[in-house]
Amino acid sequence: MKVAVDRDHCIGAGNCAMTAPSVFDQDADEAIVILLTDSPPDSEQDAVQQAVDRCPAAVIRLLP
Amino acid sequence: MSLPAMPMPAEDERPFDPPPEYAELRAGATMIRVSCPTGLDAWLISDYAGVREVLGDGRRFSTRPGLAAHVLSSYGPESPIDNFTRMDGPEHVRIRRNFAPQVTHARRLAELRPMVERITDEAITRMLASPQPYPLHSQFSTAITTSVIAELIGVPSSQRHLLHEAAMALFDTSTKADQLREALTPLYTYLYEAVATRRAQPGDDVLSRMIEHSADSDRPLTDTELTEMNAALLIAGFDTTASMITYGLLALLNIPGEWEKLVADPSTAASATEELVRYLAVGTGLLRQATEDTEVNGQPIRAGDYVVVAVQSGNRDMALHADADDFDITRKPGAHLGFGHGAHACVGQQIARMELTTVLRALATRVPTLRVAVPLNEVEWKKDSVVRGPAELPVAWT
Ligand code: HEM
Ligand code: SF4
Repeated sequence: MKVAVDRDHCIGAGNCAMTAPSVFDQDADEAIVILLTDSPPDSEQDAVQQAVDRCPAAVIRLLP
Repeated sequence: MSLPAMPMPAEDERPFDPPPEYAELRAGATMIRVSCPTGLDAWLISDYAGVREVLGDGRRFSTRPGLAAHVLSSYGPESPIDNFTRMDGPEHVRIRRNFAPQVTHARRLAELRPMVERITDEAITRMLASPQPYPLHSQFSTAITTSVIAELIGVPSSQRHLLHEAAMALFDTSTKADQLREALTPLYTYLYEAVATRRAQPGDDVLSRMIEHSADSDRPLTDTELTEMNAALLIAGFDTTASMITYGLLALLNIPGEWEKLVADPSTAASATEELVRYLAVGTGLLRQATEDTEVNGQPIRAGDYVVVAVQSGNRDMALHADADDFDITRKPGAHLGFGHGAHACVGQQIARMELTTVLRALATRVPTLRVAVPLNEVEWKKDSVVRGPAELPVAWT
């Protein structure tokens, strides 16, 4: 599984970091998403999909 | 030819459900034209995918008319754009980026949790020492959420009436534009002066942190912007959450088996919070305006057309959950529209989640015998407010 984020359109809502904290963090200054890994383990598949669904700015993408 | 009226919540008939008309519209993803309470004519969208599409695309669907101008008389589409909730695109993102580090950063929230726990514990202790029945909404829910947001921003107890008065006017559907301006002036004046004071003597509050954070940016926030942003937090911050606590507890205590589940395992408070917001939030819907000729659900929409998204209905869509009309506090938390979606999605959602979770967990632990002291059909509901829920809720315990 590959994940990508578009930081330019992130509004820092923090749902990703709450849903999948091992994959997403927020930078200290602007609370903008930080991708901790772009290829999370399969065990995180569910949580990452949740983060995609719950990101209000729709800036998280699962890549094939 | 006059259009049908937009179906509005009628809690005295269906305490926890959207108007029944929505079920059929939603099932067919059918869009109809309706006449809204303030006189605007709009497309009504009631299915999950349609609501999510509109809220998620600020380029095609602008918030310029005002997030709730279909139900609030106070900000008609002609009134000047004087705040970020009515901005789109980069202008709006600039403001949101100044909110996020203070109120939605996961780590910052962890720092705030002890404060919320302390305020909640004190409120429960006060409640348990009071005569019954106890007016939960005014004395408990509103007291907690007011203290939390006021402490966050550093508003002293003596000034907290200012935000109550401002919110009462803003959320009241019958307030006129000039009345609203007048009602907001005392809070704005107080905050405008507070900006100057905190510039000179910064503290650890949200306002001081915003000043400091934005000072290093290309375009620092002006005093007016800071006033506006903090007023928005104060006004939007307490009544919405207080109403969700009260309304949520009424649902938990009335829908068979749910309160018992929470008492048996108070750690379900987090999923209960998510379920309450999914099930109950934003009964009056949100407004957008199309910026270009486009379509949703195959229905052409012309540039300039208004669109009302029925959030509560969207959250009951079987496309979201096969049993979306059932209330289940142990439902696995997932996507829903109760805090909105897209660039304007609730700025306070993580704070609201933390407050609700803390309150539910603490009540289930300390007051497991909590019950509503009146029958459901005698509950008094707010009528003229966009923030729905009981006007008051008498409770008792043993
Ligand atoms: C359970 C409680 C709450 C619910 C259900 C709720 C719901 C919402 C919804 C649905 C929106 C989106 C409006 C739209 O897109 O048109 C919104 C926006 C907003 N909320 Fe909340 N909210 C809650 C609590 C709070 C709290 C605690 C705060 C402040 C700390 C807050 C501040 C705001 C602000 C400032 C906006 C406007 C954001 C923007 O336009 O960019 N809300 N809220
Ligand atoms: S949920 Fe989306 S908008 Fe919020 S911080 Fe994560 S990536 Fe950004």
